[in-house]
Order: sequence, then structure tokens, then C-alpha cells
Amino acid sequence: MIRQFRCFLLLAIIVCGASSATAQVRIVQTNSGGDNIHLIDPSTHAIVGEVTGVPINHGAAAAPDGSRLYFSSEGEQTLHVVDGKTLKSVKSIPLSGRPNNISISPDGRRVYVGIVSSPGAVDVIDTASMEKVKSIPTKGGIHNVYVTPDGKYVIAGSIAGRLMTVIDQKTDETAWTLFTEGVRPIAIETNPDRSSKRLFVQLSNVHGFAVVDFQQRKEVSRVMLPNDIPEEKVDKGPFNGSPSHGIGVAPDGKTLWVTSRPNARVYVYSLPDLTLLPGPVDLGGRPDWVTFTPDSKLVYIATENTDSVIAIDVTSRKQVAKVKVGKAPKRNITMVMK
Amino acid sequence: MLQGARGQGIVVRGNRRWALGLSAAGLIATIVLTPSYAGAGRVDDDLPDGEGKRILLASCTSCHELTEVTKFRGYYNRNQWRDIVVTMMEYGAPIDEKQVDVLADYLAAHLGKH
Repeated sequence: MIRQFRCFLLLAIIVCGASSATAQVRIVQTNSGGDNIHLIDPSTHAIVGEVTGVPINHGAAAAPDGSRLYFSSEGEQTLHVVDGKTLKSVKSIPLSGRPNNISISPDGRRVYVGIVSSPGAVDVIDTASMEKVKSIPTKGGIHNVYVTPDGKYVIAGSIAGRLMTVIDQKTDETAWTLFTEGVRPIAIETNPDRSSKRLFVQLSNVHGFAVVDFQQRKEVSRVMLPNDIPEEKVDKGPFNGSPSHGIGVAPDGKTLWVTSRPNARVYVYSLPDLTLLPGPVDLGGRPDWVTFTPDSKLVYIATENTDSVIAIDVTSRKQVAKVKVGKAPKRNITMVMK
Repeated sequence: MLQGARGQGIVVRGNRRWALGLSAAGLIATIVLTPSYAGAGRVDDDLPDGEGKRILLASCTSCHELTEVTKFRGYYNRNQWRDIVVTMMEYGAPIDEKQVDVLADYLAAHLGKH
């Protein structure tokens, strides 16, 4: 019996070891002021890869298996398709206008590109053919776009249109809209079945975020970030009209991380109760975006005016590394290579 | 206008001051403390004077570092620059209709694709 248990334990260790050895995690950090993107190994915080030739890169997305990366280029007004292993460009796909952020469906079949040029659109890229197959018109240029984790909806935020548009992914038609303010980054809290429960939405000139009940399709509360640092240390900007830019729900669903540009800090709220936890983390610069490792142990926050990414231990809420990257780092994502 | 932040209003006023020229001490402190301001200062000096520059400094730098504009140097033609100006108007930038083409011309001439 003991021998059988030992055999089982050994087998379990081998299987787990093989699994972790084959899945590599990378933090993919765009650099909005340049043409390169850095890949960081979160186990060492070292830069282990670089994609080049994507001028004024904005959005990033990774195929679910890590076989490809996608980047929008504001300079070229294209979507770059990059091989996940060689990090070489496979194709550059022309878009209907100047792109901002992008998002990929959970099955990896479609990439959605927010088009910020007037009158606004969400371009749809078929990843098999690597062609733009559709351009969904929107009210106002699109800044950020998100596919919900269950793949059922595409959420597009417009600053100019002062509107959040929720698009049915099956029909590409608008399901519902919300807000009369410029819509900035959004974080999605999910139910156990991966359907969307609440949205945490940053808005133009709001030092905080709105809480949206997804089923009710309405804003249910608004949370303002603390003014908890001495006046002389408050950064006066400019903040691109977005004092709070960068928000994310940890993959384990236990915490919400919200950044403040004036305070150069990130604030952490417990979920689902939205209680502000002690110990905001100083970032030393203006934050732009957050991404987590899949195990929810680390969060990486890009600070655009220091050309750096800050790595923070989620549990202790302490900075563990500062990684120097390229010019004006903004959007970042987590890539899992299987 | 700015909800929740203690710096309400100061954000705009502070940057207009920057656009109009900071005091020497303030300029030195700004350059030392924030590298991105240093970059903006150099770029500012690269751009020739004119009505377009006046609009650029008055209207764009209330929300953006100048580097957010000049990073597009060499990528856009006039129509594309005009599209950006119109987009920024829609965002709420203080630009009137008459200034759109003046600013688009200026950006195309000095930061445009040639």
C-alpha cells in the first residue's frame, strides 16, 4: 500500500513537473514611444526576448497557446502578427484606421482591434487567414477593447464617444451601451462559470473607477481612490486625461488592483467586497497598465515616464523588481507558451 | 472636471504654465525630477514658432506631454494628422474649428511624413 502510494506520488511529481516545464510564462511589455516590445521572464524578472519593427506599438495580445503574438502599430496603422517562438513578424495586416488597444477571443480565432480614428470601429481579424474580415462601426473612436473571458461579448470603450459598447460576439451587433463619460481601462470580474459578473471601469478625469453590474447593465457604485500622500508629492500631470489608468482583477479573483497617476501608487481592494487593503504600493512613476502571472503571485505595472515595469508580490504587496524596458512602456499582457 | 483627485484644476493650470515657460528654478527641478519633461523640453525647442505651435502648446499639453505628439514624427500625412486633431477635439481638447486646419498644417509640415 505504501509502495503504491509512493509510486502515485512520484508519478504526480513527474506529471506536474513536465507540465510546468512545458508552460512558460512571459510578461509582454509594449513600448509606446518606440518600435520594440520586451518579453520578461517572471521567474527571474530578466528580459529574455524582444520583438522589433512595430512602430509606436499600442495593443498586445497572445494566442492562448502562445504560438503567436499580435501587436497594433499606431505608426503604420497595422496589426503585426509575430511568431511566438522566433519573435519574428509573420504578417502586417492593414487596418481601417489608427489602432489603439486589441483583444483576442479565448479560442484564439479572432483578434479585435479598437480603431480610434473617427468615426470609430472595432476591426475583426480572422487569425486563421490573417485577414481583416469585418469592421464593426461604433459611436466614437475606440480606445480599449476586451473580449469577456467566456468569449460571449466584446467590450469597446470610447473616449470621444463617451460610451462603453458591449457587442454580442456571435452577431457582432451592439447588445447594450453605458456611460456618458470617456471610457478608459476596464477590468472584468467573473462568475464561477466565467460569465461576466461586474466590470470595474476607469473613466476620463476620474480618480477612481465605476462598478458595473453586468447582468443589470448599469453602474451600481463609484469608488474614488484615496488622497493619501502629501500635497507636495502629488504629481500634477499631465495624465492624458486619465488620472487613474491601469486596473486588473488578479486571476484568482481575490483582489482588484487600481493605479493612480497623481499618487504614483497602486491600490488594492479585496473582492468581492471591494474593501481597500492596507499598504498601497509606491510605483515611482506614472502607471499605465497592469498584468498578472497566471498563479496570481506577481503583478507587473508599467510606469511610462520611468521607462520601467514594476514587479510586485501580490501577497505581501511589496515591490520585488524594477525592470528597465523601452521608451514610454504602456500596455502589457501575460503570455503562456504551451 | 477632475473627479476625486486633490489636484483638480491644477493639472490644467500647471501645464499651461509649462507651455508658457517655467521659471529657471522650476525648469531645472522639473528636468532633474522627471526625465520625460526633459525629453519634452528638447522636442519643444526643435519645433519652429508659429500659430500652429501656439495652438499645439495651448491645447495639447494640457493633457499630454509633448512627446505624446512628437513620437508620431514622420508617420502621418496631413489627413492623418487632421484626424488626430479632430479626435482630440472630440476628447475635449480646447481647439476651435478654425484652429483645426492651422494645427493640422503645422503638424504635417514639421512632424509629417515626407
